Amino acid sequence: MAMKVDMSALETNFSIPCLDDGDGMHLSADSPDVPSMVLPTCADFDGFQAATKDMVKNKRGTTTLAFIFDKGVIVAADSRASMGGYISSQTVRKIIEINPYMLGTMAGGAADCQFWHRNLGNKCRLHELSNKRRISIAGASKLLANILYSYRGMGLSIGTMIAGFDEKGPGLYYVDSEGARLVGNRFSVGSGSLYAYGILDEGYRFNMSVEEAAELARRAIYGATFRDAASGGCVSVYHVGPDGWKKLSGDDVGELHYHYYPVQKTPVEQEMTDAPSTSA
Amino acid sequence: MVGKNCFAIASDRRLGVQLQTIATDFQRVFKIHDKLYIGLSGLGTDAQTLYQRLVFRHKLYQLREERDMKPETFASLVSAILYEKRFGPYFCQPVIAGLGEDNKPFICTMDCIGAKELAKDFVVSGTASESLYGACESMYKPNMEPEELFETVSQALMSSVDRDCLSGWGGYVLIV
Repeated sequence: MAMKVDMSALETNFSIPCLDDGDGMHLSADSPDVPSMVLPTCADFDGFQAATKDMVKNKRGTTTLAFIFDKGVIVAADSRASMGGYISSQTVRKIIEINPYMLGTMAGGAADCQFWHRNLGNKCRLHELSNKRRISIAGASKLLANILYSYRGMGLSIGTMIAGFDEKGPGLYYVDSEGARLVGNRFSVGSGSLYAYGILDEGYRFNMSVEEAAELARRAIYGATFRDAASGGCVSVYHVGPDGWKKLSGDDVGELHYHYYPVQKTPVEQEMTDAPSTSA
Repeated sequence: MVGKNCFAIASDRRLGVQLQTIATDFQRVFKIHDKLYIGLSGLGTDAQTLYQRLVFRHKLYQLREERDMKPETFASLVSAILYEKRFGPYFCQPVIAGLGEDNKPFICTMDCIGAKELAKDFVVSGTASESLYGACESMYKPNMEPEELFETVSQALMSSVDRDCLSGWGGYVLIV
């Protein structure tokens, strides 16, 4: 009953392009079932990658956060996608459901995050099927980190947190496209992360009820959307417990603003002044 | 935006430094006299300084001529003041709106070195200006009454500003 150890994470995911066919874009992957990405053939590979990176212009306009407390993990994010100054969408789903007990957050390039999280979900499922047990959060984050490390320097822009609940309890890892993989209790990622940290660090306690923790996360994301122009839209809050993740709330940031700071009716605002209609 | 014997001038309220929001109650539309208003988008400090300079010049004009400046004259004044600083400009794009003789509305906009652009319907400036052009173009009708003009200007401002990260946090609409 020997279990076959799954070594798929150790295989490289890109192939050496062969130049013998003339168009130079043929795959020669060692294991045909592993999806390989084609690399462009050009004289100055690094220069080309740098130029592409500038052209795509990924900006981490977002705020996401996650923290561990005694009842599991809370994950929260805003929902704005910006391209420079232009808001391309206010309804982006930045919390990606990898499987029923694991969540990933999206910060950086949207396409990169969506693809690689989906890819990670596939790998986790394959691991479950070949090893007859669920993958641990440490293992899943390591899979992703190794993949991202192999694409290091090629212009991927991903700053993600893998949060979930496994046999060892709640797990939270920060993984990014530079190849970093950090374990921790509290993380916030994105352009608004500094503002969110201020509120999160101040209100954090390990022993909290689920509602208190959700309110802290909501308040922190709201604060970040207030100060950071590239964050906004709606705040989504998820909770990951022993039975898996559950979405707790999705509130529009504008409505939250008036909820936290209701409009005070000042006497001046109530006056209706008529402009002089005839010229002197 | 121009209506029937009236005009509307509007702005957002955000003051920011690149992505960080500093204030949500920044005043950008200033009064020169009862029937002449100027809105200054761009660098906050230049907007305030330019406004103070223009009020000073207008007060001098009032003392000498014993009347208020006409909007066309004021636009030429702003243009001249901006061009004086041709090689070290004020980083502001003004929008001027006023009622001239017989309450005929006058609007114009300028770039930061004083190129006047007169229009008969609407003028826009700021980080969301492309968005604003689209919104105003589709919502504008000639000869609108003040209430309808207010609705139109508010909707155009809100919809454009909702698509721009660097604008927002409230709006200020003035109808004269």
